[in-house]
Amino acid sequence: MNLTLKAFVKKELTQALRDVRMRALMFGAPIIQLTIFGLALSTEIKNIKLAVFSGPGDAMFGRVADGFYSSGWFLRAGHAPGEDPYELIASGRADAALIAPAAGLARSAERGGGRMQLLVDATNATKARAVEAYARNIIAAQAAREYGARDDAALKFDVRVLYNPAMESSMFLVPGVMGMLVCLITIILTAMSLTREKEMGTFETIVSAPLSNAEVLLGKTVPYILLGLADAALVVAAGYLIFGVPVRGPLWQLGLAALALVVTTVSIGTFISTVARNQQQAMLGGFMFLFPAILMSGIMYPVENMPRAVIAAAYLDPLMYFVRLIRNIMLKGGDVHVLWANLGALGLMALLAAGLAYKRFRQTLN
Amino acid sequence: MNAAPALEVKGLSIKFGDFTAVDNVSFSVERGEIFGFLGANGAGKTTTIRMLCGLLEPTSGTAVVGGLGFGDGGRGIKKIVGYMSQKFTLYNDLTVGENLDFAAGLRKLDAGYAAGRRRELFEFIGFDRPLSTLVASLPGGVKQELALAAAMLHDPEIVFLDEPTSGVAPASRARFWTLIRRITGMGKTVIVTTHYMDEAEQCGRIALMRTGALIALDSPEGLKRSTFPGPMAELDFKGAPAEAFICGLEKAAGLLELSPHGMRWHAAFSDRAAMAAALAGLPPTAAMALINPSLEDVFIRLVEGRER
Repeated sequence: MNLTLKAFVKKELTQALRDVRMRALMFGAPIIQLTIFGLALSTEIKNIKLAVFSGPGDAMFGRVADGFYSSGWFLRAGHAPGEDPYELIASGRADAALIAPAAGLARSAERGGGRMQLLVDATNATKARAVEAYARNIIAAQAAREYGARDDAALKFDVRVLYNPAMESSMFLVPGVMGMLVCLITIILTAMSLTREKEMGTFETIVSAPLSNAEVLLGKTVPYILLGLADAALVVAAGYLIFGVPVRGPLWQLGLAALALVVTTVSIGTFISTVARNQQQAMLGGFMFLFPAILMSGIMYPVENMPRAVIAAAYLDPLMYFVRLIRNIMLKGGDVHVLWANLGALGLMALLAAGLAYKRFRQTLN
Repeated sequence: MNAAPALEVKGLSIKFGDFTAVDNVSFSVERGEIFGFLGANGAGKTTTIRMLCGLLEPTSGTAVVGGLGFGDGGRGIKKIVGYMSQKFTLYNDLTVGENLDFAAGLRKLDAGYAAGRRRELFEFIGFDRPLSTLVASLPGGVKQELALAAAMLHDPEIVFLDEPTSGVAPASRARFWTLIRRITGMGKTVIVTTHYMDEAEQCGRIALMRTGALIALDSPEGLKRSTFPGPMAELDFKGAPAEAFICGLEKAAGLLELSPHGMRWHAAFSDRAAMAAALAGLPPTAAMALINPSLEDVFIRLVEGRER
C-alpha cells in the first residue's frame, strides 16, 4: 500500500474510533436500525380491528364472522349493543365493520341477494385494499361451505369505503409524511445549531452574558419551534394544492397537534446537542432518533402489524401519536376522543423532552 | 463603580478528571491595570480567564471579581465584565448590525442605549463601514476590533481578552494595543492573555503561567531584574566555529542562562566577576556587548528552562 494512503487510513480510523460516542453511532445504530427495519417492514396487513353487527339468532352470519376471526388477520373489536358502526370507525376503535342484512343472512341469501355490508376505514389505503381482498376470500370460502363448491358466490357483500373513497395512497401518506418532515427538520436544525455555537466558540459569548439557563434554552429553541410550525403549515398547504388532501377537522386542532409535536422534537434536538460534541455527532444522533421514529410511526406501515415488542416501543414514539392525530383531523374531521387521547400523550412527551433538555443543559463549559 | 480591587483570586484550582489545568493560583489586580497572562499553549491562561468570567466552575479556591462573588451563579459578575474568547466571537454569516443587535439583546440593552454605545464604540475603534456589511467580508484586524466593541457594548468595568490578536497582521496588532491602553485610560481594567513578547511588554504586570501554575508575577521590568540580577552578554561569533567555546561556557561557574538567538548567543551571569572569568577565553574574532535582558530571555529562563 502507498505510504501516504496508509498514513491516511491509520489517522482517519484512529480519529473516528477514539471517541466512544462515535463508535456507538457507527456500530450500535446500524444494528438497532437493521432490527427495526427487519421487524417493522412486513407489508402483510394483520391485526385489523373488525366489528360485526347482526340481528339476533343469525347463525350463518355468525359462521361468516368466525371465518373472519379465525383467519388470523382480524381482531375482534367489541361494541355496545345498538352502537353506530360509523361512530365506531370514526373513533378508531374499529378499522372495519361487517353488517348483516336486516332479514338475516340465510334468508336473504335464499332470496338471491343476501348482501352484507362491509365498512372500511380507508385513511390507510393499503390496509383498506387488503381488508377488501381478505373479505372476498373469507366470504367465498364460507359460501362454498354452506352451499357447495360451485356456489361460492351465494353470499354477497357491498363494500363501503370511508374517508378516502378513491383509496388514494397520497391521502394516507401525505399527513404522515408531513409529520415526518417537520420532525426531521426541527430535530436536525436544533441539534446542529447549538453544537455549531459550541464548535465555533460563539456559545462562550452567549453564556458570558448574565442569562438564566431558561433564557438561553428558550432563545435557542423558540426560533426553531416557529420554523417548525411554519413548515407544518407549508406542508398542509402543499398537500392540499398538490394531492388534494383535505383538512376536514378544525384548524385549531391541527395547530395544537403541530405545536405539541414541534415542542417535543425541538426539545429532543436540544437534548441531542447536550450530548454531541460536534456537528457530525449531532447530525448522526438526530438520524439515530429519526429512523426508528419514522419506521414505528405508522406513516408507511401500520403499527398494528408490528410484533408486540415493536408496538411497545412505538408507544414511546412522538411521531406515532402525531400521525394518528393528523390523519384523524385531516381525513376524518377530528374525533374528539382520538384528539384528546393522542394530544395528551404527545403533550406529555413534549413536557418530558423539554424537562430532560433543561436538566441536561449547562451554561458552563466544564 | 465600587472601589474594590478588580480581581482578588485565592487558591484557584480546576481539575478535569485527573488533569489539573489550573493549580492553586492566587493574585489580585487593581482597577485600571493592564494585567497580562503569559505562557505557552496549555499553561492554563484561558482556563483561568474562563473561571473568572463564570464559564467554568473552579474545583477549589475563590475569586472575587469587581467586589462580587459567584454566589448567584456569576450573574452579577457577568453584568460588569466583558469577555472576548480566543475563538472568533461574532457570527460570520450575520452583518455588523445584526451581530451588535444580538450582543445588545444578550445583555438586554434597550435600543436607544445600544445605538448610542454603538456609535461611541465605532468612533473608538474607527469603524466607518456600513452596518449592513457581512462580517465574513471584513479583514481579520477589523473583525477583532468589532468583536472588542461587541464585548464592550454593555460598558463593562473589567474586560477579559483571551488572545485578542492571534492571527492578526502586525500593524493591526499594534492598533489593537492602542485600543487596550485607551480602555484602561477610561478607568477600566483589562485582563489579557498573549504569547507575543512585544505585547506582554505593554502590560502593567504579567502573570507568567506554566503547566497550570503561576510561576512569576511582576511588571516586565521587575521580572527582568529578578530573573537576571547580574549582567547579560550578547556574543556574536561572526560565523566562526564556536562549538568548543560554547561547550566550555555551559560549564562556567556563575552562568545563569545560555541561549541561542539567531546567529548570536545570550549569556546571563550571577555577577560581573563570574562574567569576566567565563568570557576570558572568548575568541578574538568574536564580539561581546552588554545588553538588557528581554522578556523573551525571562520566558526562556522561567518557562522553558524548567521544562528541560
